[in-house]
Amino acid sequence: MTSFIVRRVLGAIPLLLFISIVTYAMMALAPGGPAAVLGPRGQGLSPEAILRINQAYGLDKPWYVQYFFWLKQLLFHGSLGTSYVDNRPVIEKVFEKLPVTIEMVGLALILTLIIAIPIGIYAGAHRGSFFDNASSTIGFIFYGMPVFWLAIILIELFAVEFRWFPSSGVSSLGRENDVLDRLWHLVLPVVAIALASFVSWMRYQRSSIIEAMSSGYIRTARSKGLSERDVLVHHAFRNALLPIVTLLGLSLPQLVGGAYFVEYVFSIPGIGYLTFSSIFSRDYPTLMAITMLTAVLIVAGNLLADITYAIVDPRIRYA
Amino acid sequence: MRSFRRFLRERPAVIGSSFVLLLVLIAIFGPILDTTDPNVVVHSLIGFPQPPSAAHWFGTDLIGRDIFVRSLYGARVSLMVGAAAMVVSFTIGILYGAIAGASGGIVDNLMMRFVDAMLSFPTFFLLLIISALTNKFSLTIIILIIGLTSWPGLARLVRAEVLSLRERDFVEAARALGASPARLILRHLIPNALAPVVVAAAFAIGDNILAESSLSFFGLGVQPPSPSWGNMLQDALTPQAEAAPWMVLVPGLAIVITVLAFSVIADGIRVALDTSIGQETGDELDVEPAPYAAAPATAT
Repeated sequence: MTSFIVRRVLGAIPLLLFISIVTYAMMALAPGGPAAVLGPRGQGLSPEAILRINQAYGLDKPWYVQYFFWLKQLLFHGSLGTSYVDNRPVIEKVFEKLPVTIEMVGLALILTLIIAIPIGIYAGAHRGSFFDNASSTIGFIFYGMPVFWLAIILIELFAVEFRWFPSSGVSSLGRENDVLDRLWHLVLPVVAIALASFVSWMRYQRSSIIEAMSSGYIRTARSKGLSERDVLVHHAFRNALLPIVTLLGLSLPQLVGGAYFVEYVFSIPGIGYLTFSSIFSRDYPTLMAITMLTAVLIVAGNLLADITYAIVDPRIRYA
Repeated sequence: MRSFRRFLRERPAVIGSSFVLLLVLIAIFGPILDTTDPNVVVHSLIGFPQPPSAAHWFGTDLIGRDIFVRSLYGARVSLMVGAAAMVVSFTIGILYGAIAGASGGIVDNLMMRFVDAMLSFPTFFLLLIISALTNKFSLTIIILIIGLTSWPGLARLVRAEVLSLRERDFVEAARALGASPARLILRHLIPNALAPVVVAAAFAIGDNILAESSLSFFGLGVQPPSPSWGNMLQDALTPQAEAAPWMVLVPGLAIVITVLAFSVIADGIRVALDTSIGQETGDELDVEPAPYAAAPATAT
């Protein structure tokens, strides 16, 4: 197991390097640059000014030189650089926005599981029933629903029409430390994310219950004369939860990058917001930091999924 | 033919196909039948969207343009981007997966490593960055961006399919008869791996439509004044639109129903092409999420 983990972590290094190179190249080779988006709207700066700025930030060098400089900073100084926009350390900017996103997506994930798992289990255990067909149909409908549209509808209904919840932001003015007020602001965004993502969890849970129900140990349990209820609760259910555990690991990166749309529609200052503003201001260091953070989480999530899977399912062995 | 008849027995799939057919006809002929320019201001009360009426079926938007006509043009954009981006990603994905699977060994290993790396990018993040940085928003560019970012999952599917086919007798026989690798891939492996690919294609069109409308919603796709369902929803975000629910409902429902139609078509094809899966174990094929995507890309 230990050697498996070590090998996987080592294997992730070239992957992360690759991702960083591609992202950097993509940004640096794209037309325009951090200096080109400055200046008065529609006018921009003079060519001389752009040249001066590029020289000052080393942006006049070829992209691979810039990239190696970025990599050197990271490896030898543990620094992801400072933002082109406000000269603050990029790490600081990212960690400032991170809590809001984690809080929102984390709550949404919990709500998603609360909705999806019972429905998935019930539908899978009663395959072909009215409930199964109805939940599949509803699932298909939600699958095609853009989350930003869902968010707008929620705002129109519950913020504008009924005035139950606020339509944007994370807290009321002057009540920034009030937990209840924050939660109240998060209700609509969290519901929007959960409604948009419960479908895949539900379908996954359903198919894993169906698979479990057709295994040999279920036939054994039934032939022992156990009631269908006992079979489902004590034998199928526990085994059918295993794939969900894996899926939880795989959804780790969403804690960071899971909510661009919802943050945009609800004006929530999280990572999605930071990503947008960095894209439009061509803030390479911040974009690199967000990309790398997400990539690390993806790799870590995969590893975590494999490890938990091996722990909860003794049939799996990693050499 | 047997599969086709089986497809016709899937009622949701038939309804879905009829809807898509209707939409295609509307997209082609609609603008010819109703010659209203989608950008012309048909109502002079700027800032006061008018509710649906006999003259303007779906009402008008903030600056008094006819939403029905704009939706028709939006259907054009959505279908074109959805299908064309699918063709781009499937051409790459099928060839890539088949070559990797057929080659085996170190070539396969390297090629799949690249796929792993591609899948380690958060999809929508990639889409956002590329389109924002390209800063050109012609339909061709949008199609290319969506197509070029969405093939790796498919390459994986095709490779797995080819790997299982590779050991079959008919492939062995073709190889023994001296078929070249190219012939083996194009004539034997790809055609036999097509069933799951066709299912994936129908889903992909829906996903691409969602991707296009998401990009356009953010102002990174189809640029106003050209109408697209996504950028029509962007208009609906403004405070004046709060009193005009039709501005939100029309383009949104258009997206939802269209994507739903492609999903049920995909489901119907799956049942029609693969009896064993359809009858024995229910519908597991589509529920298996791509290993790196816990939720649909659109949920992010």
